[in-house]
Amino acid sequence: MVALRRLGAMVLTLVISSFVIFAGMYAAPGDPVAFLIGNPENMTPERIAAVRAEYHLDQPFLHQYWIWATDLLHGDFGSSFIYQQPVTDLLGSRLPVTLSLVAYSGVLFIVIGVLLGVVSALRKGTAIDSFITGITTFATSIPNFVVAVVLISVFAVKLRWFSVSGPGEGFFGRIHHLTLPAIALALGAIAVVSRVTRQTMVEQQSLDHVEAARSYGLQSRKTVLRHVLRNSLGPIVTMCGLILAGMLAGTVVVEGVFGLNGIGSLLVEAINTHDFPVVQAILLYMVIAYMAVTVLVDLIYPLLDARVLARSVS
Amino acid sequence: MSASSLKRFTTGTAFAAAGVLVAAGCGDSGSPAQSPVLDQIKLVDSTPAAAGQLDKAIWFMPKEPRSLDLDNDAANSQSDLILANVCDRLLQLQPDLTLKPGLAEKYAWKDATTLVFTIRQGVTFHDGSPMTADDVLWSLDRHRADGASESDEYVNVTGVTKTGPNEVTVKFKQSDAVFVEAIAGDAGVVLSRKGVESQGKKYGTPAGTDACTGPFQLKEWQSGKSITLTKAPNYWNKPKAAKTDEITFKWGSDDVIVNSLKTGEATGSYLENLSSATQLATGGATTVSQGPDTRVWNMMITDRGGLKDVWLRKALAMSIDRAGVAKAAFSGLGQPWKEPVGSGAWGYEKDKFKAAYDALPGLPAKPEQSDLDAAKKLVQEVGETQPLIIASDGSPVRNVIANAFVDAAQKIGLKATITQIPTAQYDPYDETIRKSVDILTDDYFVSKNDPVGFYKNGVSTSTVQWLLKDPAYDALVSKGRAALDDGERAGIAIELAKKWSEAMPWIPVVDSPSTVALSSKVTGVPASGCYRYSPWAADLGTKGA
Repeated sequence: MVALRRLGAMVLTLVISSFVIFAGMYAAPGDPVAFLIGNPENMTPERIAAVRAEYHLDQPFLHQYWIWATDLLHGDFGSSFIYQQPVTDLLGSRLPVTLSLVAYSGVLFIVIGVLLGVVSALRKGTAIDSFITGITTFATSIPNFVVAVVLISVFAVKLRWFSVSGPGEGFFGRIHHLTLPAIALALGAIAVVSRVTRQTMVEQQSLDHVEAARSYGLQSRKTVLRHVLRNSLGPIVTMCGLILAGMLAGTVVVEGVFGLNGIGSLLVEAINTHDFPVVQAILLYMVIAYMAVTVLVDLIYPLLDARVLARSVS
Repeated sequence: MSASSLKRFTTGTAFAAAGVLVAAGCGDSGSPAQSPVLDQIKLVDSTPAAAGQLDKAIWFMPKEPRSLDLDNDAANSQSDLILANVCDRLLQLQPDLTLKPGLAEKYAWKDATTLVFTIRQGVTFHDGSPMTADDVLWSLDRHRADGASESDEYVNVTGVTKTGPNEVTVKFKQSDAVFVEAIAGDAGVVLSRKGVESQGKKYGTPAGTDACTGPFQLKEWQSGKSITLTKAPNYWNKPKAAKTDEITFKWGSDDVIVNSLKTGEATGSYLENLSSATQLATGGATTVSQGPDTRVWNMMITDRGGLKDVWLRKALAMSIDRAGVAKAAFSGLGQPWKEPVGSGAWGYEKDKFKAAYDALPGLPAKPEQSDLDAAKKLVQEVGETQPLIIASDGSPVRNVIANAFVDAAQKIGLKATITQIPTAQYDPYDETIRKSVDILTDDYFVSKNDPVGFYKNGVSTSTVQWLLKDPAYDALVSKGRAALDDGERAGIAIELAKKWSEAMPWIPVVDSPSTVALSSKVTGVPASGCYRYSPWAADLGTKGA
């Protein structure tokens, strides 16, 4: 029942967002016709009218939306105005790049971020703690674009350890090629995750049951793992989920700098050229991806915290 | 398609533009780039010939092509760059921008309105089937169909027929010299009818394959990743068989291209952003060569009205510091230019055109005090003027030109401001944009190496300029198109250039030559703007010992 209600809410969200996106694109200044015809010398009034009719651009807004929506219900995402290829093909060839970049980046920021946070919390008030806090504060303040450019000029151009651009071939090739972009994308997130980890763990450490466990003489490593870290996981997982969901929509800058043809660069180009079907499909994918990540976090949460599980069962 | 401006499709996101600046700031530039001295740009038609066979090349371009069907409106200059190597045309454009027979072994005007092509025998398509006159006929009909991107080239054509086993005849309303030039472009590509029709909707997309006869064939197009061509076996033109076995095209922003060339990950690239070239001209890993092209950056005067008085346009043309723009925006790799079309248009009668160009008055590279005084006088004669607005989109070139314009206007007593328009909306052909500003800057190139191919844009019905409406000019354009004799046509073209310059619907600023960067291990490709229609990659190979 709960699941059904939730599913209904998601479908409604998708319908509303698809309409809002379509309206937004429709209202945006500029005209797709210029891009559809391309050559300014061919822009005669007759030609413009013919192209408008061909792409239903001469129809009222609601009618255009209706055409798009009914096609979608038949499983047809339509064809890109600009590339003259089915939207599903365009997305299919670009999604793997973006998803593998985000996954790689996710592994980096979760592992490194949590690790730094744990060290910081356990060594609270020491030089190491100040050092980590200082470094992460600094890292949050650099835009990932600048990080990307610096990484390229040092590790790709000067040292030649990595390739300048492209997604790479095969599994290991992909890992190798995506290392620099994943670092550039993860750096800001590492800082945020390590701060959240440190904060929640410091709070947990001062709680009564941890103090009690300590006074019983439990080993401190056990205390940290069983009580402190486990009880801190809730906020950490939520934070990581939110960052990951945001990343799915935030790869555009890094993709551009590293010459990766992913979803982000495709979206920017599609918006600039008023490629309605592509913009619709990508933004809906982003909405769905966001929902998927939040659902996943909600599913993991009870596993981490028995109290939440008990509440949701009762 | 006869002309186009690339900028709308090449300027990426604002990030990309910013990226260039940052990359230039902290890139790997061992020594400060030496700009060649402005007056000493030496344009060559080709890089030195290659000595040996190259196995694999990686070639960079600014963007992924949208379609590999040249009759589709989505096809653009990126499509041309690739298909120039895959598809042959009836006539073949040479690196020196002259025409030679291609898939037609000869052509002749039987009379003023009848053009006969004799089709070459023994040519096969990449699928192994022989090329016939029927394929030629079908291809030309496909190019001239309503809505096809080349249909404008067929404006004077009344019919195409097969008049012999290896003969195709084109009939005209009036004789048309420009048509012959267009046949060396995309309007004269010969496709296999069977090859195109059997693919249905897939043709021209990543799921399709090519249907041509050129020195390379399409191996695969991985959407969003790369396009690979391989050397075609049994190419009909043996001496022009490919010297490279496989060439893979990739795309990326300016800094991706520069870095890939620097690290040796890329073999070469035809550069659209000339300021990238300065980083590649030094350092030894790459070489940069420039050749004649038709592309010029102009200030296009809109119909808003601030500059409707031709004297004001003349005054501005006299006072713009073109040399300064060439240096600041093009790192000295562009040159101050007096015509709206580059020297690449001089595909015949070069000396005549050069002399006429030199004689054009009132467009100094660097204005002297006397030019400024004369311009001031013109402005005073006009009397009351409204403040002028020039548009920029924040891209380096447009910013530099806009500032040079404001500087010039102030020096001669005109008020001028710059207004910013986002790149995505920056479109000179959008009427609402034109209503809000007096000047838009854009680069423009034409696909034919003939000034008439550009100056035809001065007719009253033109969609690319909005001020020149003169029946005498229109008549001269028709006469120019119809003049089959090169000498006669050159005379008319020069007359058109004069009239255009007198009316000044655009103010020319800087010529942007064709620029190619190559890894220092390879050579052979043309440096001139012929690379859009001529199989340039076939000449790419290794250097001699």
